[in-house]
Amino acid sequence: MVNYIFDGTFDGLMTVIYVSYYNRQIPNDILSENSYQKNFLGDDIYISTDINKSDKVQNAITTKISKEALKNIYYVYLSELESSYMLIYKYVRLGFKIGRKINYFLQNDIVNDVIKLSQRINHEAYKMIELIRFKEIKKGLFYAKIHPDYNVLPLIVPHFAERFQDQYFVIHDVKRNLSAVYDKKSWIITDIPPEITLITKEEEDFENLWKIYYKSISIEERKNLRLQRQHMPKKYWDMLTEKQ
Amino acid sequence: MELHDKIRILADAAKYDVSCSSSGSNRENKNGGIGNASFYGICHSWSDDGRCISLLKILFTNVCIYDCSYCVNRCSNDIERALFTPDELADLTINFYRRNYIEGLFLSSAVYKSPDYTMELLIRTVKKLREDYNFNGYIHLKAIPGADINLIRLAGLYADRMSVNIELPSEKSLKLLAPQKTKESIIKPMSFIHSKLLEKSESKKLMRHTDKFVPAGQTTQLIIGATPESDRTILKLSENLYKYYDLKRVYYSAYIPVFNGNNLLGVSSPPLLREHRLYQADWLLRYYNFKADELLTEEELNFDVLLDPKINWAMKNLNLFPVEVNTADYNMLLRVPGIGLRTAKRIVKARKAANLNYDSLKKLGVVLKRAKYFITCNGKYYGGCEIETNKIKNKLLPKSNVLEGQLSIFDSIYKTESNLPILV
Repeated sequence: MVNYIFDGTFDGLMTVIYVSYYNRQIPNDILSENSYQKNFLGDDIYISTDINKSDKVQNAITTKISKEALKNIYYVYLSELESSYMLIYKYVRLGFKIGRKINYFLQNDIVNDVIKLSQRINHEAYKMIELIRFKEIKKGLFYAKIHPDYNVLPLIVPHFAERFQDQYFVIHDVKRNLSAVYDKKSWIITDIPPEITLITKEEEDFENLWKIYYKSISIEERKNLRLQRQHMPKKYWDMLTEKQ
Repeated sequence: MELHDKIRILADAAKYDVSCSSSGSNRENKNGGIGNASFYGICHSWSDDGRCISLLKILFTNVCIYDCSYCVNRCSNDIERALFTPDELADLTINFYRRNYIEGLFLSSAVYKSPDYTMELLIRTVKKLREDYNFNGYIHLKAIPGADINLIRLAGLYADRMSVNIELPSEKSLKLLAPQKTKESIIKPMSFIHSKLLEKSESKKLMRHTDKFVPAGQTTQLIIGATPESDRTILKLSENLYKYYDLKRVYYSAYIPVFNGNNLLGVSSPPLLREHRLYQADWLLRYYNFKADELLTEEELNFDVLLDPKINWAMKNLNLFPVEVNTADYNMLLRVPGIGLRTAKRIVKARKAANLNYDSLKKLGVVLKRAKYFITCNGKYYGGCEIETNKIKNKLLPKSNVLEGQLSIFDSIYKTESNLPILV
């Protein structure tokens, strides 16, 4: 039994799939090097990431299975769950066997798990798009802090880059120490920590106006805190200006 | 007056307007401007009443020449009054938008000086946003009843969505509670917007590019529980509005008797559960191909508040059940309590790959605690009782969960602001 170890990147994972097919060797487990602890019992093979091999696998998934399948795989990868790598592997194998119709097999546990997990990542990305609050930390520069359960940063930046074409912004995932930086032209994700300057008076004014608005728009006679929490889970409240 | 006082007063005055959705528009960010519309709409926060905050919902002013007795802004009411300037409001919208507080602006107003004068103020504000700030986010504008049709047309060029409030379910009630508004002043702008939209969709077939005119269509709202109309009257009205005016939504607002003065009909608490049932029925009309006449009849004018309208309908039509999930057609699946839009689609998809068994139904999202009384799976019935109205009703009623209908899934997608019910 062999375990494949890779560098934790998406291209790395795709390379693992390539190597496994090329060697006709089904892995016992797939692990990222960050969490890997050497095991003296099994055969551990370190796979170094190869962009070309990754591209080939991604192409094969798109043409032989579907674009949607590739999207699901990427979302599941972003869950960062250790178990997700093997799940993806099994899903790809099944997909190559069944082809385009794989997402009809909703009764299959592998397909069902992939779709459910992918939906969870999608859901959190959507929550972030709703609940991110920017602060103007310098004239014309906007900063937002997030700490999502899953690594959804790459999924949400395009939304804001499209929307705020005329505004510099940084979205900082404090849990993973990743920042998305947009300069009115393009965006990148970096692990260089952003410099946060003091909040301006003007920023404070707008935050206060928003809090006043937030309070005034609620109808006392219809109070329903349970419904509020259902849509806006408490774990995100520290991001919200109106809840400070 | 300070800006924060204006916001406090004019947000408070706008809060009874139920519409908040920011969906249906495909406006894109162009020329490096600010903002775009998201077709499915995005909520940004939820206030303590559990209703979503998507747009900056605010009145331009609450100074009103009218005296409608159901309305908090009526001129005879002794309340604080405030008035924005177009500059203030445009600047506020942009600054809230840049911080991702909101998806755009929902601007309404009391009737200040005259309907035309008010409409012009609203137009100046949104024109500033679109032209001076290059703002492409969502704008919902209220058409002020009685305003000149040319002003409505002009407003439609800047707005993503417009609405004219019907206010009350019948002309008689309107005369009684809002004597200065006429049915004509409400229907005229509504039918004008509708005809413009038809015209637009015709010219789109001929021309590649046409100017946008309320791309997200129009909506309306009415107050329930302040006047004696039945659920059936209300639902029939909505059905006709969808059919003849192509409305995107009809919003229902449970009447909240907080307005001092003459207490209409002695209503003591807002009929929230009734409102919830109407929203559920409204969904059945728009997405589940039900007709109002199927849901309520001359003999049954109002919904049983303890059962959701779909179960209510199924109970009256038990002869159609149980249906076999492996063979029933999509439209019939949609009519099964416990099977929603998405689930029905999933069932149709999954059974192409393999025969469905009972255990996998749950995986597909079927709410079995309701659905099991109305389906068979490979010929087997899992309800555990005879298919009779009273027996099924007994099984369904004690669980108060029945009340939490299917709305919750769609809440997040379509941005309803209906509350989950409070048991009354």
